[in-house]
Amino acid sequence: MTDQLERTTNLLALLLETRVPLTLDDIVNQLGDQYPAGHTAMRGAFERDKGLLRDVGVPIETAVLGGTHAGQTAYRVDRDRYELRDLDLTDDERRALQVAVAAARTSEAEFGMLKLGGVADSSASITANLPQLELLPSLREAIAARATIDFRYHAAPRSLQPYALLLREGFWYVIGHDLGHLEVRTYRVDRIEGSIEQGEGEAFERPDNFDPRTVFPADPKELGEGSQTAIVRIDGTRATFVVRELGEESVVRRLADNGVEVEVPCSNLDAFRSWLFGWGVHAEVVAPADVRDGLVDWLRSMASRS
Amino acid sequence: MTPRRGPRRSAERLRRLLVMLPWLMERGEVPVAEMAARFELTEAELIGDLELAALCGLPPFIDEMIDVFIDEGVVFAGLPRLFTKPLRLTAPEGFALLSSGRAAMQLPGADPDGALARALDKLAGVLGDDGVVVDVPQPPATGDLASAVNDNARLSVRYWSANRDEETEREITPRSIFLDRGHWYVIADDSRSGESRTFRIDRFEHWERTGVIDAPAKGSSTIVPPSGDQWFTDGDVPSVVLRLAPQARWAAERYPLRDEHHDDTSGVMVVSMAVASEQWLRTLLLRLGPHAVVLEPAEWHDLGADAARQLLERYDVTDS
Repeated sequence: MTDQLERTTNLLALLLETRVPLTLDDIVNQLGDQYPAGHTAMRGAFERDKGLLRDVGVPIETAVLGGTHAGQTAYRVDRDRYELRDLDLTDDERRALQVAVAAARTSEAEFGMLKLGGVADSSASITANLPQLELLPSLREAIAARATIDFRYHAAPRSLQPYALLLREGFWYVIGHDLGHLEVRTYRVDRIEGSIEQGEGEAFERPDNFDPRTVFPADPKELGEGSQTAIVRIDGTRATFVVRELGEESVVRRLADNGVEVEVPCSNLDAFRSWLFGWGVHAEVVAPADVRDGLVDWLRSMASRS
Repeated sequence: MTPRRGPRRSAERLRRLLVMLPWLMERGEVPVAEMAARFELTEAELIGDLELAALCGLPPFIDEMIDVFIDEGVVFAGLPRLFTKPLRLTAPEGFALLSSGRAAMQLPGADPDGALARALDKLAGVLGDDGVVVDVPQPPATGDLASAVNDNARLSVRYWSANRDEETEREITPRSIFLDRGHWYVIADDSRSGESRTFRIDRFEHWERTGVIDAPAKGSSTIVPPSGDQWFTDGDVPSVVLRLAPQARWAAERYPLRDEHHDDTSGVMVVSMAVASEQWLRTLLLRLGPHAVVLEPAEWHDLGADAARQLLERYDVTDS
């Protein structure tokens, strides 16, 4: 019996070269004594080989035969689908992609780069840690194929025509037309429960010029209903940072200690509180009264716990 | 690439073989050392894989073999017949390439019409319209810090450390810049501590070049920024154990956890996470408010209440 890697490589060569799909009997006839004797052992070895080929990404096509071989499954690999399509990258394009791959430091991208004729380069002085999630590659494929996806989210089934993946604030979002709610919805990919089911391709068209960045505000403080704002007083020691973050237009008053009063979105109170507490004792809500009172209540409920 | 442990699995060997063979056939002959380095194998591993490939081919295996042999430290490929093109990009490889590229378009110095943009267009052409968007705004100091990394330039900075809630003046020599969880950081040689330190870029209040150019970092390739859960793997960093109500679940998603337990019926989680500083934990507890309780260690049981009382003083309301 032969080493599995050798046998699998031979199997792949055979399936790539054959003009007609081959049944397991055909394959064993051709590869001779590389497979173990006995139908069960032979079938088991073949299934392992097939699994190995699929694991590395080989597209194996199957067909159920008719005629004298009725009911038997036959296999082949379509060379057009197997082979990498030439990207015609110029040298500077390949180098640029390689620098990008070095910056993201993911082994999948580095291996992809090898296929594109580049090398794995790990000398980047600027790097980006992109959150890796198992579902992302198949979500991207569904977007490219224009295929509807079904998944569970917050314990409810969802059906989505996916338009785009967006990375923002360290989280991946999938955005698309929700077939249950009949509107554009956004889902955090890390909160999708279990796997996704992908439907047929070409199932929908994405609106022209769809920009996922405009679907929901980049500032989580604006995420709630309406467009409420609060006035927050910032000490002189932190004013530079706050004004840089919010912009000069947010400043409603400059104070004697170099501090400022700024107008801050607070439609989403959770996000607003989170932002405010980040400035510690250097920030204080001055108006409106209900937001200030709500904040004091929040702090009192904590202070009275011990 | 991810370091390998133990014997190489068949899948990993096959995956690499299907890239190595077409590459080799296009060149005809390559020194073993060069080819091993390129594909990140030891020479022994490469020779083992090529010797195995030389046994492979099409039935009846007489003149339809993969024609590869090694002589005097050089790999030779004969007539290319099988495996002349690499295997297509898999879904994970395609996604990783596109997302790396889209992220790099957001890095300091990226040219929106440059070679990378053209490469990504070609890639998207092959993979199907990509639909991947990376939205990572840069704080104003990012570009200047990136050019300081290139030049080994020493900067004079004023930095606000949120972990200690204090502002400091110091000189730093930036060595590496990275993005993690939506924030930009710089790793720099720090004059105050005499050590390499990590700073959050949006917390520089002021920065300018001193005119001093330092020597390149020793072994600069070893400055590897932390990624994912590698933050705070240091055993010296203390842990806190928190009970989180469902409303506080975001904290478990936002920060690396050392341990977690779920109660599926109530939605309550008990998590253990690294605490960079007491000040950081005070801020986190304020954000979590009534939805979190410190279980351990005992000395932090009252930390949230204490932080709340301190802040209440600012509001001029005395607590009972």
